[in-house]
Amino acid sequence: MLSRFVMQHALTKQSPMIVLARGAALLPTSDKHPERDLVNFPRPKRLIDPEPVRHTCIPERWFEFFYPRLGVTGPYTFTFGLITYLLSKEIWVVEHDFGYVMASVIIVGLGHKLFGKQLANYLDKEIAAEEEQDDAARNDKLASLKGAIENELWNQERSKAQAVLYEAKRENIQMQLEAVFRERALFAYQQVKNRLEYQAALESIQRRISQKHMVSWVVSHVLKSITPDQDKQSIKKCISDLKALAARA
Amino acid sequence: MGFGDYPAEYKPQVHGPYDPARYYGKPDTPLGQVKLGELGSWFGRRNYSPRAMTAATSRAFWRWNHKYILPKKSNMAGTLHVLFGLSLFFYVINYPRISTHRIMRYH
Repeated sequence: MLSRFVMQHALTKQSPMIVLARGAALLPTSDKHPERDLVNFPRPKRLIDPEPVRHTCIPERWFEFFYPRLGVTGPYTFTFGLITYLLSKEIWVVEHDFGYVMASVIIVGLGHKLFGKQLANYLDKEIAAEEEQDDAARNDKLASLKGAIENELWNQERSKAQAVLYEAKRENIQMQLEAVFRERALFAYQQVKNRLEYQAALESIQRRISQKHMVSWVVSHVLKSITPDQDKQSIKKCISDLKALAARA
Repeated sequence: MGFGDYPAEYKPQVHGPYDPARYYGKPDTPLGQVKLGELGSWFGRRNYSPRAMTAATSRAFWRWNHKYILPKKSNMAGTLHVLFGLSLFFYVINYPRISTHRIMRYH
C-alpha cells in the first residue's frame, strides 16, 4: 500500500519526458548544454558526395588553386612542365618499372570509362539497401520507444484515475457496512420483538391457567357447600317451576 | 594525457561530439594566407614534438577520410590516392637503388 502510494506520487511529480530531456541536457556532448558553441563547432555531418575531383582522382581544389595564378591550362602546364623537368633531369628515372606507371594509368582510365557507371550504380544500390536496412532497424527502435513513452503516459493518466477508483471503492465499502449494520439492527429488533412476544404469551397463558384454576376452585367449593336438603329443595322448586311452565304452555 | 585520450584542448560541453579531423587548439593563420616575410615566425610557432606531429598526421588522415572514403557516394578517388600514394612511397624508399639506373651521364 505504501509502495503504491510512493510510486503514485513519484509518477505524478515528474513526467518521463522531463527526465529524458534533463538527462540529454546533462550529456557532455549535448547540443543543449549551456556552454555549447554551435557557431564555431557545428555538429559534423557525413558528406553525401565526396570532394569533387577531376580525372578520377585529382582534387578540384588544386585546379582552383592554379586558376587565379596560371589560368585554365595552368595546372596542366605545371604538371607536364614538372614531369618534363623530372624526366629530362632523370630525377624520375626511366628504368624497367616505368612501363607499369603507364600501364596502371591506362588500365584505371579504361576501367573507369567502361565499367565506372555500372559499378557506381551497383554499389549505390547496395549502399541504399544497406542504409534502408539500418534505417528500418533504427526506425523500429524509435517507434517502439515512442510506443513505450505513450504507454507510460497513458499509465500515468490511468494512475490519476486511481484516486477516483479508490473513492468509489471506499463508498462501496461504506455502503456494504451500512447494509450490514441495517441488517443486524433489523435482526436485533426482531429478536427483541420475539422475546417480548414470548413474555406476553407466557403471561397471558399464566393468567388463563390461574383464572381457570380459580374458576374450578370456586365451582368445586360451591358444589361442596350445597347440602342434600338444598339439593332436594331446588329440584322440587325446579319441578314446580317446570309444572308452572307446562301449565302455561 | 595518455594513449587514446582526447587532446587537452577538447571540451565536450563546448565542442560537442569529437571530430578527429579537427584541431581544437587556438587556430593560427592558415599556411596559404601567411605572408612570405612572416613565414619564419610562423614556422617558429609550430610544435615539433612527436606527439603534436602524430596528432597532425592523424588529423590530416581523418580530413582525407571524411572527404574521399566516408561519404555515402564515395568514388574511386580515395582508392586511387592510396594506390598512387603507395607507389610514390615505395618509389621514394627505393630511390637509392632506382637512381643507379640512370642512363644519361652528362647533365
